[in-house]
Amino acid sequence: MEKMRSIGLALGAVALFAMAAPAMSQGNDLSVGRKMLVEDNPGDLWIDIGKELFYQKRGPKKASLEQCDFGLGAGKLEGAAARMPRYFADTDRVEDLESRLLTCMTRLQGFDRKGLVKQAISRPRSKGSDIEALALYITSRSNGMKVNVTLSHQKEYDMYKAGEYLFYRRSGQTDFGCVQCHGEPDKRIRLQDLINMTSKAGAQEVASTWPAYRGAHYVVRTMQWRLNDCVWQMRLPDLEYGTDYSIALTTFLNHRGNDAVMQVPGFKR
Amino acid sequence: MKNNNWLKWSAYAVAGLIVAGCATYPDQATTKQMAEKMVFEGFTYSAEHKSRLVQDRSQQICSKIGDEKLTQAEAAEVVKLARASIKFPASGKLVGDWKTGDKLAHNGAGDRIRNGKEESRKENGALCQNCHALAPGEINVGNVGPPLTGYGKQRGNSEAIAKYTYEKIYNAWMYFPCSNMPRLGATEHLTPEQITHVVAFLIDPQSPINK
Ligand code: HEC
Ligand code: HEC
Repeated sequence: MEKMRSIGLALGAVALFAMAAPAMSQGNDLSVGRKMLVEDNPGDLWIDIGKELFYQKRGPKKASLEQCDFGLGAGKLEGAAARMPRYFADTDRVEDLESRLLTCMTRLQGFDRKGLVKQAISRPRSKGSDIEALALYITSRSNGMKVNVTLSHQKEYDMYKAGEYLFYRRSGQTDFGCVQCHGEPDKRIRLQDLINMTSKAGAQEVASTWPAYRGAHYVVRTMQWRLNDCVWQMRLPDLEYGTDYSIALTTFLNHRGNDAVMQVPGFKR
Repeated sequence: MKNNNWLKWSAYAVAGLIVAGCATYPDQATTKQMAEKMVFEGFTYSAEHKSRLVQDRSQQICSKIGDEKLTQAEAAEVVKLARASIKFPASGKLVGDWKTGDKLAHNGAGDRIRNGKEESRKENGALCQNCHALAPGEINVGNVGPPLTGYGKQRGNSEAIAKYTYEKIYNAWMYFPCSNMPRLGATEHLTPEQITHVVAFLIDPQSPINK
C-alpha cells in the first residue's frame, strides 16, 4: 500500500514533467529532451516491483520464479535477458523473454495462460502488468552487459531467417512491411522518429533498450507491446501475445543488435 | 574450370554438414514456408480480416529481402497490375473539392483493428500527412515521402496533371513499382471520390498547399 502510494506520487511528478517535455523538444535537437529525461527514468520504479513479484510465492502452485531457467540455469538472471530469444529444450522452441515468462508462470506457478495473456499489456496510466514488471526486472539484471543472441540450434537459425523474411513482408491495406518505416535513416512518421533497423546501430538501440518507460502512457512497455502497436498501424489484425511471429522478429532484430550494451528501462516518447 | 571444382567441393561440404546435422540457415523455400505459417498463426482474425494477411501478387513481388533487387520483368508486372487496378469515379470528374481533400490529407485514421473491431469512423483518412510535408509551415508532418508543398504551383492543374495525380494516389506503383507509398485506392483504403478531393487539394490554385 505504502509502495503504491509512493508510485502514485512519483507518477504525479512525472505527469507534470511530461507536460513540460513538448516545450523542451521544440528546439532543433529533439534528443536533448530525451537525454535529460533518461537521467531520471520513472520506469526504474518498476524494477523493484518486478523483483518482488519474482521472489514471491504466487499462483495456484504457490511458487516463486526462482526455479525458472532463462537459459543460464534455474534462477540465474545475470546476463540472461541479453541472450534472448534463445532455444529452450524443455519446450523445444525458441522463446523471447516474455514467452519464457508465460512458460514459467503457467508451468511453475500454475497461472492460466489465457488470463496472463489478457493482462500482459496494461492500460495506459495503470500500475502496469505483472509481466511488464517482471520482464523489466529480469532484463535489468543484464544492464551493462552486451547483447549476445547467438544462433547455434537449428530452431534459432530458423527463427532468425523467418524474422528477416517477416521484416520485409508487405501486406494489408497500406502495403506495409516493417522495412517501409524502419529501412532508411532520418525518417519520420509525422514527428515520430523512425529507427533504421537495417543498420547495426539501429538494431542495437532496439536490442538494448526494451522494456522501456513510455512517457505518453506513464507505464513500462515491452517489446511485444511495441510490435503490437506497429502492427496496428500497419492495419493488420490483432497480434497474439507470445507467438512465433513476434519472437521471430525479435530474434532477427536482437541478433543484429549484438554487442550493444544493455540499459533498461529505456525511455521512449 | 577451377571455379567449377570449387563449386562442386563446396556443394559436397554443404551436403556433409546437413548429413552431420549441423545447424545452419534454412534455404529460401523453407524460410518462406515457416514464416508464412507464423503469420497465419500469429494473429487473431475474422474471415473478413484474414485478407489483410494474405499477400496479393504485387505485394509478393514487392517484399524483396535485404538488398535483393526487383528484376525488370517483375517491375513490369507490378506496373501492369497497377494500371489494370485503376478505377475512375462514376462521375468521371477527377478533381473534387480541395477543402474536403485538405481534411482527408491530414487525417491518419481509419481501417485499424483492435480486439477484432475496426475503428468506427465515417470514412478513412488519406494518411498523406504521415509521410509528406503539405501546406507551407506545417510542422507535424512526416518525411517518408517527398514534400508536396507547392505541388500544383509547380506543375499546374492541367487535365494531364490531374490524371497523373489521381493515378499516383490510386496506385502509386503504376509509376514507381514497389515504392514505399501505399496503393491507397487499389487496396480500397480510399474510395475514388475521396481521391478526387485529395487531387483537388494538391492541384487547386486556391489550396493552401499552393499558397
Ligand atoms: C507505418 C509505420 C510503421 C511500420 C510499418 C512499422 N513501424 Fe515500428 N515504429 C513506428 C513508429 C511511429 C514507432 C515509434 C517511434 C517513436 O515512438 O518515436 C515505431 C517503433 C518501433 C520500435 C521501437 C524502436 C525503439 O525505440 O527502440 C520497434 C522495435 C519497431 N517499431 C519494430 C517494428 C517492426 C518489427 C515492424 C513490422 C512488424 C514495424 N515496426 C512496422 C512506425 C512503424
Ligand atoms: C507511407 C508513406 C506514404 C503515404 C501514406 C503517402 N505517400 Fe505519397 N509517397 C510516398 C513515397 C515514399 C513516395 C516516393 C516514391 C513514389 O513516388 O512512389 C511518394 C510519392 C508521392 C507522389 C509523387 C510525387 C512526384 O514527384 O510526382 C505524390 C503525388 C504523392 N506521393 C501523394 C500522396 C498523397 C496525396 C497521399 C495521401 C493520399 C500520399 N502520397 C500518401 C510515401 C507515402
